[in-house]
Amino acid sequence: MKLWHSFVKEILLASRGFYFYVEIVMAFVFLFLLLFVIPDNFSNKSTEYLYLDLPKAAADAFMEFSVAEDLDQQGEAVEIKSGKNIYPANLIETDTSKIYYLESAEAVIQLAEDEKNFGGIVKLNEAGDGLAYEYYLQGYESERMKNLLLLFHNTEMSKLEETFNAQEVRPLSDGFEPLTDKQNMVPVFLTFNGSFMGMFIIAAYIFLDKKEGVIKAYAVTASSVWQYLMSKIGVILTTTLVSSLIITIPVMGTQPNYLLMVIFLLATGFFASTLGLFLASFYKDIVAAFGAIYGLIIVIMLPNIAYFIPSWDPVWLKIIPSYPMLEGFKEIILPGGDAAFVLWTSLGFLVAGLLLFVFSNKRYQHSLTV
Amino acid sequence: MIKVEGLYHSYSNDENYAVKNANFEIPKGEIFGFLGPSGAGKSTTQGILTGLLQLQKGNVNVAGYDVKNISQKMFNKIGMSFEQSNVYSKLTAKENLDFYRKLFDGQTREPADLLKLVGLDGKENVRAGEFSKGMKHRLTFARSMINNPELWFLDEPTTGLDPAIASEIKDIIRKENNNGVTVFLTTHNMFIADELCNRVAFIVDGEIKLIDSPKNLKLQYGEQLVDVEFRKNGTVVKETFSTIKEEEKQRLQKVILDYEIQSMHTKEATLEEIFIKVTGRGLV
Ligand SMILES: Nc1ncnc2c1ncn2[C@@H]1O[C@H](COP(=O)(O)OP(=O)(O)O)[C@@H](O)[C@H]1O
Ligand SMILES: [Mg+2]
Repeated sequence: MKLWHSFVKEILLASRGFYFYVEIVMAFVFLFLLLFVIPDNFSNKSTEYLYLDLPKAAADAFMEFSVAEDLDQQGEAVEIKSGKNIYPANLIETDTSKIYYLESAEAVIQLAEDEKNFGGIVKLNEAGDGLAYEYYLQGYESERMKNLLLLFHNTEMSKLEETFNAQEVRPLSDGFEPLTDKQNMVPVFLTFNGSFMGMFIIAAYIFLDKKEGVIKAYAVTASSVWQYLMSKIGVILTTTLVSSLIITIPVMGTQPNYLLMVIFLLATGFFASTLGLFLASFYKDIVAAFGAIYGLIIVIMLPNIAYFIPSWDPVWLKIIPSYPMLEGFKEIILPGGDAAFVLWTSLGFLVAGLLLFVFSNKRYQHSLTV
Repeated sequence: MIKVEGLYHSYSNDENYAVKNANFEIPKGEIFGFLGPSGAGKSTTQGILTGLLQLQKGNVNVAGYDVKNISQKMFNKIGMSFEQSNVYSKLTAKENLDFYRKLFDGQTREPADLLKLVGLDGKENVRAGEFSKGMKHRLTFARSMINNPELWFLDEPTTGLDPAIASEIKDIIRKENNNGVTVFLTTHNMFIADELCNRVAFIVDGEIKLIDSPKNLKLQYGEQLVDVEFRKNGTVVKETFSTIKEEEKQRLQKVILDYEIQSMHTKEATLEEIFIKVTGRGLV
């Protein structure tokens, strides 16, 4: 009962404070970004500028071939604005690249330089019986890329095609739509705005209370310090749930397993808030704690990098709590995700959180002053 | 109500004691004054008695509970007003008290009555953050009585209050005491202590120098003093003489013989003068 009263009071305090709204407003900002700014899938089409320095007949043949590759089998007359200049061009868009055919070699060279894109000029070779390519690269392309271009132009196409076709590609799972790039962002927001934000906010609440000295006043009542700490965690879990659902429901609809998600949010939110409590118990105010908080931010952001660059995934990264959190949230929103993994991970966070809570409670009891 | 034996406390966990070998006992119904200059160890002692600070060495029994293993239930019988006011600045005066009363098990007092008692009526719905220092202090004081404590710890309850309000606080303490509340009063205001306390302890540098009633102290140490105003070389001079010290008695005699006396009053030594005399230290 006292725990409930403390919780109600903490909610009242939070509603009159600043941090509560930060998290909610951030959730809406992220939601806006996800819905209106971030595309379903990031475009990774390369942009190329080409000029055909060929006799009319050869150029027409080349264009005919190129137009056939276009998504709607026709070129589009466009104007490229670059700096003060405007270049008319014929745009061919395939599923991997946007190729602009320009009207002069100078235009290609200028654009390749100004827009930092790939430029090329196609000519007849010296013998006059084949094509020669002149590339304008940026200078930072890798050797592999340059070798690829060499290989491309010095090997017979049919041989390359044979090799490609001989490679067997097997999908790891089937029957499920993979997540779109946009949906793939959701676990990141859930991990950082949902769970980990709670760590900073609870620390901020504790520092406010330390400044006002109200913990001492609580310590001389017939209610225990653990109830005071737990009521704060309750507030954090509430805002974690609210801010996470604000993001997830509009973006993911009915796809996620929401029961699993609530369990995971509570477990990870509990862990993050006890970590915040523990951290705050060592410092007198937020300024003194700043270094530790900053260091912690860096560490928990690392798994984020691995999340977006699958090829970088060292083993030590997996012990950083945000790593399993990201994985867990991904399993939750993935159709047919691994529920057992999520539940076991939840249990892990719960146990770790309980341990931190017991330590923190001891620390707060023993660090009271008069 | 309180029994303290061989109490030591060091913030640095070494020989550098903030409280050194304190021994005292406070019977039920007494107002016990804990007097000393700031930094003497008053708040530290009170902190150990209320379980805020870990007991390091010694035996302490408070309201029937051994402080070594405090039960949260003990606080149903105890009230504590802090030297530094500590209320939620984002809550109104009434919300602060409404919340606080729910943390106790027994009968609690009406927040509105308490606020009226300390002169904060009309400010019930003002957030404590907008209060002046003195008002916050009064709110902290009012909060400490909300659970009808049998034992009431007051750390500097009148410090920083203007004299009229300090006097009201003093009356409240006396009234509660008349209803049987035992009071542990920490202060460096000797006038309040003199008027309220059944017994006082003088504490300096963590050590209790003596414990006695103000009345006994005055009998024992309070020599009779004489204030004399006399005309010397055309100007009026004011001096105080002891009627016990031989040297001062002779000087007084000489003044009476040599100069024109304007006025002459006897007066009792104050508690403050006795404190200085016993401890060799001032009170600030
Ligand atoms: N939290 C603390 N950490 C270290 N030293 C402290 C702390 N609180 C008080 N002290 C020291 O202990 C001594 C007694 O302080 P205190 O009990 O507050 O004195 P008083 O209440 O009589 O003014 C002082 O020397 C003070 O500097
Ligand atoms: Mg003090």
